[in-house]
Order: sequence, then C-alpha cells, then structure tokens
Amino acid sequence: MRPELLKGHLDALLLAVLEPGPQHGYAVIESLRSGSGGALDLPTGTVYPALHRLERAGLIASDWQTVGGRRRRAYHLTPAGQIALSEQRALWDKFSTAVTALLKRRTWPATA
Amino acid sequence: MASDCIATSTGPRPKDALAAYLSDLAAQLHGPRRRREAIFTELRDGLEQATEDRIATGLAPDQAAAAAISQFGSPGAVADAFAGELTTAYARRTIAWFIATGPLVGIWWLLLLHPGPWRTGLIALVAAIPVIPLIIAAIATAGGTLATTGRLIRWLPETGPRRALAATIAIAMLCMIIDLTMITMVMASGVPTGPLMMIAVAASLIRIVCSITSVRHANLMRVDDPD
Repeated sequence: MRPELLKGHLDALLLAVLEPGPQHGYAVIESLRSGSGGALDLPTGTVYPALHRLERAGLIASDWQTVGGRRRRAYHLTPAGQIALSEQRALWDKFSTAVTALLKRRTWPATA
Repeated sequence: MASDCIATSTGPRPKDALAAYLSDLAAQLHGPRRRREAIFTELRDGLEQATEDRIATGLAPDQAAAAAISQFGSPGAVADAFAGELTTAYARRTIAWFIATGPLVGIWWLLLLHPGPWRTGLIALVAAIPVIPLIIAAIATAGGTLATTGRLIRWLPETGPRRALAATIAIAMLCMIIDLTMITMVMASGVPTGPLMMIAVAASLIRIVCSITSVRHANLMRVDDPD
C-alpha cells in the first residue's frame, strides 16, 4: 500500500500500535506490518519522523533505555494521546461506514 | 548481547556495511546537534535490530545487513525525511533563545532610556524607546511560531518547517534592526558614556552577532529543506 494513501490516518495508526504498551521505532514499523497482514509496510522515513511529530504534539512521549548494550528510544502514549486515539477511532468508524456503504457493489436506483 | 551478536557472529563485513551506511546518514543530517545525535542513535538501534531479526530468520549476516539497509532506504532519503523535524527543532530552539535573551538585552536599554517618573504610559515609553512596536512584532511572531509548532498543534493549524524557518529569520532580522537602531540612537543623542550605556551597547552587539549567525544557519537549513 502506498504511504500517501495513509495521509491523515498515519497518526491514528501509530497511536493504535502504541496503545498496548511502549515500543521502539523499528518495533512500531514491524507492528504496523504484522498487524495489517503485510499491507502496511511503511518506510523508515515515514514512520520515525511521524513519531517525532506526535511527540512534539504531546500525544506520545519517549524514554531512553539501554537494551543489550544499545541505547533505545521507546515511545508510549500520553493521556492526551489516549484521548486523541479514542476520537480518531470514532471518526474512522463514521468515515469507514459511510465509504463502505457507498463503495459496496449494488444496484443504484434509477433517477428520473 | 545484541550488538555483540552482530560483531562476533557476522564478521567485519556486515558491521562495516552498517557503519558505512550510518556514517553516510550522519553526514546528511543537518540541524541541532542533540537532535541529530538522538535521531542517529535511534536509527542505529533500529538498523541493528532489523539486521538481528533477519539473522534470526536464517539469513547470512552480510545478506541480513544488506536487507536491513534496503528496508531503511538510502541515507539521503532518510535524511530528507527527517529534514522537516530537524528544521522545526532548529527554529523552535533559536526562537526560544531569542525570547529568553530578549529581557537580558532590553533591561539595560530600559534602565538607560526609561522616561522620567513624571511621564508615564505607553506613549511616553515609545517616545523614549521607539523600537517598542518592533519588539512587540518580534514577540508576537515568536509566540505564534512556538505555539503552532509545539503541543498546541493539536488544536491550532501547524506551522510547517519552511514557515517556521522564515519566522526565525524574521525575528533575527527584527532583533538586528532593534539593536542597530538603539545603538545609533544612543550614539546620536549625546547621552554621556557610562557603565550602563557600555553594558547596553555590548549586550546589543553580542545579540547582533548571534542574530547574524542565526540567519546564516537558517539560510543553510532552508537550502537543505526539501519542502
């Protein structure tokens, strides 16, 4: 799937991936890929800067840890991020219901 | 240990490939040093993790490193992707510096040129220090840019990196105009030279140098900014 198709939805996807618990950047990329059945294989240049932007907006926060001798930055949701995710979910439900209703194959009533 | 795993089990070739990639990437990241270092450390961890994951699936170490590098994309593409965030970080840091140091320069001019106790109000203050409208314009630009590039972007329209950089240049230019005006004014007014005047002029001269440096850095970043 092309990254530009995700425009406007990437933030919500990243927040959703971080909802179960803290993850580092590469693990976020892998979670997006595995969680979408391989459809969302997003490049590094898309995911990492988006995480930084979400942190700047205060929707996620990060901590540096040392894992196996390496310094690792782990991101987690903030309370504001949790609220934003709930709002995004509600919006997506509404949007997807409307789009699905329109795109579903069916016979449209003939107009006069 | 994870990093030892790469070093010992794969020999020098994959490690060299990762090092060459990261060195190339580091050379192409431009912006505040701490932010660049944080991004570099984060990407190095991700790249090493990606390599280890592929080794765990049975790939040869050199193939694993090559596949991880391929997944991350060319150093130029990754650096370009971070350019916006680094530009915004630079703009925010520089603007915060101007806000923090503004009172340190302004206080000396206020002590030197403040209106007499019998003249109060904004008009008297503007008559004594005519650059006040420029100071207000600089503070408004700084406050607006900080607000629309920080946490308030949840509610306010976000200022992009290019505009944030333009605002930084505008604030630096305003500070230069303010400082030059004040120095010229005090020199022409015939105010007797004293310690207060020397401190005020020195503070403004230091800020002029810092403003010129900021404009130069901002112009260099503007060239790098792909947006």
